[in-house]
Amino acid sequence: MTKPSPFLNPGQTTKAGSLAIVHLSRDNLVPAILDDTVGEVNGYAEGTVINTRFGSFPHSTLIGQPWGSQIRASVVDTGSRGRKRKVRDDTDEPSNDTEEAASAKKPATAASGFVHVLPPTPEIWTMSLPHRTQVVYTPDYSYILHRIRARPGMRIIEAGAGSGSFTHASVRAVYNGYPTAAEDRKGKVYSFEFNEARFQAMEREVKAHDLSDLVQITHRDVYNDGFLVNGESPEADCVFLDLPAPWKALPHLSRHRPATEAVNGQDQPWVSPLRSDRAVHLCTFSPCIEQVTRTVDAMRRLGWMEIEMVEVAHKRIGVLRERVGLNMPGDRGSNQSPYDVAEAVNRLREVEGRFKEFHGRNQKAAKSANDDDVDMNDSVEASAAETNGAGREAAAEPPSDNAPSVPSFMMGRLVHRTEPEIKTHTSYLVFAVLPQEWTEEQEAAAFEKWPCGKESKVIGSLDKETRKKEKRELLKGKKKRKSEK
Amino acid sequence: MHSLVQPDAWVALKLPNGTLRVLQVTPNTTVSLGKYGSFPSNLIIHRPYHLTYELQDKREGENFSRLRIVPASELYADILTSSASSSAPGSPTLAPEDDDADAELPTGVEYSLVDATSGAVVAKTDRAAVLDEASALRQTLSVEEIEALKQDGTNAGKDLIAKLMLSHTALDQKTEYSLAKYKLLKTKKYIRRFCVTPLDVPMFDHWLLEEKDPIKILDMREEMIALLGCWANVHYGGVDRCENATDEEPQAESTALDHSAGRWLVVDDTGGLLVAAMAERLGVLYPPEKEETLETYLESQKPPQQKEAASGPKSSKDEPDAEAPEEATEDASMQEEAKVEAQIDETKETDVKAESAQDPGSHGINPKKYPTGGPRHRSNDLAVPYAQSNTLTLLHHNSQANLSFLRYYDFDNTNPAQPLTHPLATNLMTLTWLQLLDPTADTAYMAEPPAVTPEELRGWKTNRRGNYHRKRRRWARVRHVVDTTRAGGFSGLVVASTMDPISVMKHAVPLLAGGAPIAIYSQSVEALTALVDCYSIARRTAWISNPPEGAAGKTPEELETWEGNDEFPLNPTLVLGAALQTSRVRKWQVLPGRTHPLMTSKGGAEGYIFTAWRVKPAEGKIEARGKGRHSKRRKVGE
Repeated sequence: MTKPSPFLNPGQTTKAGSLAIVHLSRDNLVPAILDDTVGEVNGYAEGTVINTRFGSFPHSTLIGQPWGSQIRASVVDTGSRGRKRKVRDDTDEPSNDTEEAASAKKPATAASGFVHVLPPTPEIWTMSLPHRTQVVYTPDYSYILHRIRARPGMRIIEAGAGSGSFTHASVRAVYNGYPTAAEDRKGKVYSFEFNEARFQAMEREVKAHDLSDLVQITHRDVYNDGFLVNGESPEADCVFLDLPAPWKALPHLSRHRPATEAVNGQDQPWVSPLRSDRAVHLCTFSPCIEQVTRTVDAMRRLGWMEIEMVEVAHKRIGVLRERVGLNMPGDRGSNQSPYDVAEAVNRLREVEGRFKEFHGRNQKAAKSANDDDVDMNDSVEASAAETNGAGREAAAEPPSDNAPSVPSFMMGRLVHRTEPEIKTHTSYLVFAVLPQEWTEEQEAAAFEKWPCGKESKVIGSLDKETRKKEKRELLKGKKKRKSEK
Repeated sequence: MHSLVQPDAWVALKLPNGTLRVLQVTPNTTVSLGKYGSFPSNLIIHRPYHLTYELQDKREGENFSRLRIVPASELYADILTSSASSSAPGSPTLAPEDDDADAELPTGVEYSLVDATSGAVVAKTDRAAVLDEASALRQTLSVEEIEALKQDGTNAGKDLIAKLMLSHTALDQKTEYSLAKYKLLKTKKYIRRFCVTPLDVPMFDHWLLEEKDPIKILDMREEMIALLGCWANVHYGGVDRCENATDEEPQAESTALDHSAGRWLVVDDTGGLLVAAMAERLGVLYPPEKEETLETYLESQKPPQQKEAASGPKSSKDEPDAEAPEEATEDASMQEEAKVEAQIDETKETDVKAESAQDPGSHGINPKKYPTGGPRHRSNDLAVPYAQSNTLTLLHHNSQANLSFLRYYDFDNTNPAQPLTHPLATNLMTLTWLQLLDPTADTAYMAEPPAVTPEELRGWKTNRRGNYHRKRRRWARVRHVVDTTRAGGFSGLVVASTMDPISVMKHAVPLLAGGAPIAIYSQSVEALTALVDCYSIARRTAWISNPPEGAAGKTPEELETWEGNDEFPLNPTLVLGAALQTSRVRKWQVLPGRTHPLMTSKGGAEGYIFTAWRVKPAEGKIEARGKGRHSKRRKVGE
C-alpha cells in the first residue's frame, strides 16, 4: 500500500517526510518536506530549520501538529553557525555528528513570531512552487480541467510539464484511488517534458509528493515521437498541450495513422494514444494569436469538432477601508481631508473665523481711536464669531471623544479595488473534441438493438396545434379520473 | 460520464442556428427539432456523443428519417478551402487581411471576384454596394417558392441552400467574406443537421445561463464553478465507491469516522447546480449505465404492480418537458409544506407496495421508476445507507432541500424511495440549519419511534408495519446525518448562497478541520467585502492584543464558537488568507483572416469568489514579528 499523497489525503496532522506548506503571508508560502532528523543539520543543533523574517522554525516544531496550526517561532542560534561550519569543512567531517546527535537540542519558544502550517493543495503549490517555466495559474487550469472534463477515473495527457502546476491540478481532478494491481485502471496523468533538466526536476517532485503511481512522466520530444509510453497507448480521455507548436503534436493524437506520418515500410500497426470508446477532449495553451490560427487550422483538418477559443481574464481584488475625514486618526492609510462638503465648509468657516479674529484684533487696535460705533459693532461680530467657533468645536468634539468607541478598523468606508498588478494576458485556450469513431457495423448493431418505427409520442419542439391538443387530452384525462372517483 | 447516449438520459441537441434543445431521450418517441425536422429517438440511443447528424430523406416504406453522420471534412469544407485560398502558399499561417492585403496577393478562386491589382478599391465599392442595397431585392426566389422547397426538404436542405445561392442576382458583387457569411447564414437557417452533446455540468450550466434562467443559478458562470471547486479542493476523497470505479468491492466498514477523509460541506442556493458540479468532481454524479437493448428496456419498464404504478405521483413525471424543472423549483420553495405532506403520503404508498410485493426478485430490477428500499435497507432499519467518505453534506434553509436540477442526473432527493444504485443516494446528505444548530427543536431528529419486538410486529397489519419501518429508517438517517455533521471535521466548505456569508461562516467554520479550504461565491462583491473586512489584519491584531469582553481568558477551543459582537462578528483568528477574486472568460471567433473576440456576450452579475483556509490559533497570547509598523506603534502606545 502506497502512502497517499499529501495533496490527495493529507491526514489530520503533519507528518515527517511529507510535504507541508508554511504560510508566512498572503503571497509568501514556503513548501517544505518535513524532516525529523534528530541532531545537527546544516549547522543547526535543532535539526532542519526554516528561517523567515518572522523567526526561525525548526522542523521538529512543525511535525505532528494538526493541519492549520499556528506555530510559534523558536529561539535558534543563527549567528554562530556559519563560523562553525567553516571549521568543519576544513576538517572534512560529515555534518551530522553522532556526538551532537545524541543531545538533540529541544528548541525554546521565542517571544514573538509565528507561522501557520497548511496542507498542500494544487492552488497553494501553484503559488509557492519553484518556477522553471511560465506557470499555468489557477484561473486557467481550473477552467481548462472543467472544460476538458477531467473527472475521477479519467486519463489525461499533458505535454509540456513545465513547472508542474497543471500536473498537480490534473492529478487531483482525475484521482480515484491508487491502483492496487497492475491491471487496475485508475485515473492517471501522462506527462511529457522535452527539457532534460525540467524532466528530472519534475520526476523528483512527483516522487517527493508520493504521486509516482498517478503521474507517469516521460522525457520526450512529442512533435516527433508521439505520446505512446513504452509502446503502449495511455488511452487518454483528455489532452492538454502547453507547447510552442501544438500543430506539430496534433497529428499524433489521431484515431488512425495520420497521413503526414510516413509509413517508412514499418509493419507494426499504428497505435492511437487516445481512448477508442470515448470522445476525447483537448485543450491547447498558446500565448500568441498566430499559434492559435495554425493550431485551429490543424484541428479542422484532423477532424476535431466543437473548436472554441477563449481567454481568461482574472483579477484579484483587495478590500480596504477608505478613511477620509478631518477627524480620522493620523494613521498611514487615512486621508485627512474633508469627508464631505459640509465638513469642508465647516472647516473653511473655522479658518475664516480665526482669520477675522486675528484681523479684527489688529483693526481694533487701529480703529479704537477713531470710531466707537464701529468698534462696538466689531466687537459684537468678533464675539459672535468666537461663540460660533466654540460651538463648532464643541460640535466637532463629540466624534473625537467617541473615536475610541469606534475602533480604527471599523472607521471609514469599506471599498474594494483590483490588485495593483494584473495579469492581462496569460494565454489563449483552444478547446476541441474528437468524437468516438462509429462504424457502419456498430451503427447496424445499434439499430438492431434499438429498432425504429414504433414511435408513440413526439418530444422536443412541437407546433402550437399539437401542444394544444396534448394539453386538452391531459385535462380531459384528469377530469375523467376525478369523475371516476 | 457515459460514452453512449443512455435511454432516458438528458441530452443537449445543438441546432445549426446555435440554440440548444435539452430533452430526455425516451425510447420509442419522435424527437422534433421544429423547422429542422424530426427523427426517432431510438436512432441516437446507444450512439456516441458529439457526432453531427444530418436528417436524411425518408426512405420508401419508412415513416421516419434516418440519420447520417456528417464527417468533419464535410463540416469544415468551406473554411478549409477559404483558408487555403486566402493564405499565401506554403505557410498555413494566416496573414492579417485588412491593411496589407495587397502585399500578399491572393491566388484562390474566390478572390477572383475581387480585382487583385486594385484590391482595396474594389472591396470598398463592393462594401458600399452591400450597404446600399442590403434591403433591396437580390433574391429572386419568392417566399412561396422557398416554402415549397422546404416542404420538399430533399438532401437535408443542401439543395435549397444551393438554389438560394444560385438565384441571388448580386452574388458576383460580394466579397469573399460576405459570400461566406451569406452562405453561413443560409446554412444556419436551412441545413437539417444537429449534434448530440451530453448534458454534463459544463453544458448544463451553459444552457441554464444562455437559454434558461440565469437568476436561478445566481449567474454562476463555468469559470466560477471551476474556481470554486478548485479553491475548495473538492476531489475524489476516500475509498468508497465512485461511478467509474469497478463497484462491488466489498467495503470494510470503518466504524470510527475518519475526519481526514473527504467530506465536504455545501450551501447551495442554485437549485442543485453547485451540488451537481461538486458531485461531478467527487465522481458521484452520474447514474450507472442502463439497459442494453430496447427489449430489455421495455421489459424493465413493466411495473411490478401494474395498477398503482400508473397512478403514482412519480409516473406523472415520467416524461417531463423542458419546463418541468422550473415548476419543480418553485414547488420546492413555495409549497414546501404541501410537498412534505405529499411526500409522506407517497412514502406510505411505496412502502405498502413494497410490503405487498413479497417476491424479492421484483426488487431493484428497475432502478428508475419503481424502486424499493432493497434488501440491505430492509434487514435493519437503523443501518444507514450513507458512505463514510467522499461525501457532500448540504445545509439548506427550507425544510426540504431544493435540488431540483439533480433530476437531470436521474436523482430526486424528494423521493424517499430513491434507489441506492445512484451514487448520490449514498454520498449526498442534507440537513437543515435548524437541525445543525438546534437539533432538539427538530421533530424528525428528536422523535425516536419506539422499538417494537418482532413478535408484536408480526401481529400488525402490513400497512402499519410499513409505516413503522419507514419512520424508523427516516429517524436513523436524520440522526446519522445530524450527528456526523455536528461532529465536524469537514475537508472543505463550498458556498453559493443568497444568505449573508458572515452568518454562514459563523456556523460553518467551526465544523471544518484544520487547514480546510473555504470557497464562497457571491453574485455581487459587497457581501464578500464585508466578510473579508471581518478578517482584516487590523481587526485580527486588535483581537489578539486587546480581546473583546467575553473573549479574554478563554481557550482557542472555546473561542471557536464565538457568537460575535458588533466589533468582531466572527472570530478573526480562525481563518487565514481571506482573499477575493473574479474571473471572466472571453470567447473568440477563429476563422481564416477573421479572428477576433466575439462582438457580444452575456452580461449580468459579475460574480466574485472568496477564498481562505481554516486554521487553528495557538493557545495564549501571541506576538507578531517582522518589520510591521503595527507592533512598534502598539508598543509606543502602551
